Amino acid sequence: MSASIQTMNGDVPVFYVADEHDHPPGQSTMLGFWLYLMSDCLIFAMLFATFGVLGTSYAAGPGPKDLFDLKLVALNTAMLLFSSITYGFAMLEMMKGKKNTTLLWLAITGLFGFAFLCIELYEFHHMIHEGAGWWRSAFLSSFFTLVGTHGLHVTFGIIWLVVLMVQVAKFGLIEANQRRLMCLSMFWHFLDVVWIGVFTFVYLMGVVR
Amino acid sequence: MISLFIGEFAKAGWLAYPPLSNIGYSPDVGVDYYIWALQVAGVGTTLSGINLIATIVKMRCPGMTLMKMPVFTWTSLCTNVLIVASFPVLTACLTLLSLDRYVGTNFFTNDLGGNPMMYVNLIWIWGHPEVYILILPLFGVFSEVTSTFSGKKLFGYTSMVYATIVITILSYLVWLHHFFTMGSGASVNSFFGITTMIISIPTGAKIFNWLFTMYRGRIRFDLPMMWTIAFMLTFTIGGMTGVMLAIPPADFVLHNSLFLIAHFHNVIIGGVVFGVFAAINFWFPKAFGFKLDEFWGKVSFWFWVPGFWVAFTPLYVLGLMGVTRRMRVFDDPSLQIWFVIAGIGAAMIAAGTGALLVQIAVSVWRRKELADLTGDPWNGRTLEWATSSPPPDYNFAFTPVVHDNDAWYDMKNRSYQRPHQGFRPIHMPKNTGAGIILSGLATALGFALIWYMWAFAAVCFVALIAGAIYHTFNYKRDFHIPVDQVIATETKRSELLAAQAAS
Repeated sequence: MSASIQTMNGDVPVFYVADEHDHPPGQSTMLGFWLYLMSDCLIFAMLFATFGVLGTSYAAGPGPKDLFDLKLVALNTAMLLFSSITYGFAMLEMMKGKKNTTLLWLAITGLFGFAFLCIELYEFHHMIHEGAGWWRSAFLSSFFTLVGTHGLHVTFGIIWLVVLMVQVAKFGLIEANQRRLMCLSMFWHFLDVVWIGVFTFVYLMGVVR
Repeated sequence: MISLFIGEFAKAGWLAYPPLSNIGYSPDVGVDYYIWALQVAGVGTTLSGINLIATIVKMRCPGMTLMKMPVFTWTSLCTNVLIVASFPVLTACLTLLSLDRYVGTNFFTNDLGGNPMMYVNLIWIWGHPEVYILILPLFGVFSEVTSTFSGKKLFGYTSMVYATIVITILSYLVWLHHFFTMGSGASVNSFFGITTMIISIPTGAKIFNWLFTMYRGRIRFDLPMMWTIAFMLTFTIGGMTGVMLAIPPADFVLHNSLFLIAHFHNVIIGGVVFGVFAAINFWFPKAFGFKLDEFWGKVSFWFWVPGFWVAFTPLYVLGLMGVTRRMRVFDDPSLQIWFVIAGIGAAMIAAGTGALLVQIAVSVWRRKELADLTGDPWNGRTLEWATSSPPPDYNFAFTPVVHDNDAWYDMKNRSYQRPHQGFRPIHMPKNTGAGIILSGLATALGFALIWYMWAFAAVCFVALIAGAIYHTFNYKRDFHIPVDQVIATETKRSELLAAQAAS
């Protein structure tokens, strides 16, 4: 298309594209999805900021040292990090055009994600059981909201993953599905990065404080 | 709207500050209406913002580099950047408020460690960029209008673009000027006071650019230009009172007074509302195929602009005398006369608004006489005037190639010929009802949440997710407009243009 910007016959400029071809679909999807992720990132930024302000407002209730079990959180973190690696493997298989192994790695990713959620829910249940629910203090309100929002994202990520597995199984690794897998890949790794922030600022710093 | 008829409406002010908006002081559904209406609309706004940025960045026609985009496109781009970068903050902030109200968290409560002032900070981190989301597109409109009706290239295009970008960035660094009286201390207040004053520099640069565009131009005083001149006069005064409010010590006196009210109406009416009127009068023929009636437009203009000043100048005076906002009764009878004058101004504005409605009705009535057959009723400069009014579904039969900022003016100057042959089928995205259906479900979900109808809310939520997933199974999202249809449309237009050239 860039050739048509050139003037022909010296002086008469070209004002329109005469031989235009169809636009391939989804050429701006990646940019759009990246922008969406950045807007999502801002939601997390606000929740981190809220935790930063209220994270020490215990209201004479339990604090991080009383509540957090770092071994459990380390296991949890491992689950999520593994799921990121296995998603990477799925993408590599996708590049090679191998449908079945792609599906296999996606399934493993989903299982790791599911394990992460189960551990998180166990932790929440345990805290609530001890009377340290979100209503107890501003610290706990911001803790449950930040960590819970991340967990909610993982939940929707898993739903998306299952839908994509169905679509890949049904329609194969067509271009549209590859693009969708790429978007979910960005989403999944993004959640991983956010979790690193949660692990560092909420759990590790909380116990050190 | 529903809240006016079913249940209670929100009674916690524009921004629903807690603790007033929290469950203890607002136990009815009013604030819930407020929250869910904004949440549903906010998600829609964010997603369309993303869509428009991706469109502007990725889908420009050949030759249109970033610095050859029309200024309106630039201001739209910056506006959408602001949307994507600020609406998530609103979403997060309102989510925290709704958690406080629904499940008993303690973010903004007075006890158990909550902090209501954090809400005020969070909401203004969205709220201040939001006022630039309002005004920036109109700055673009004024640029297009000034240049078109002065018959000149816009003065200082590059500085206009950079001014817009600087405003975009600075709008994130001023939010605290909405509550200098919170008691953040001298250093914090000074920082935000100074950043606020700095914003007036790029804005002033814009005003001078418009003035220099008009200088030595052949100015046509059509309605869009009249609104633009009214804007320049009005907005400048509003900007100056804004700089006065940006001085923290002055703000301690003027905070929450009618002076503030007069200031922000001065910029929002003088900027946004006048800009929208300019834009409606300017682009109405492009969108609907006929111009708006000039007489009633002028009636509206002459009621609106003086009416604005009669209504809001007394508020400046009252504000300086210490009258606060949101009061219904005052004991001091000497204040009465100013309120009466303001009331007369309000009546004039009402008459202006009425004239606007009459203008639209009369224009629809006389649409045959007012029809724009050329597609270029104002001797326009940018590409939208190159196609018919209203444009065909495909906008252009052939994608235009741009060589100049004022692409259409350049085409007219260099004897551009409309193509008459070689048409091809045009590749188009298919229409889909998914957006409407999903937003309908989201609205129903909001309504269910407002009234604590948990089962219905669950149904709506599941339907929303299922609907979105169902939509992803639709892989065929494009189609071609058949070449016959393109030829038919273009031939009709050629005949129309030829008939006009002959007459």
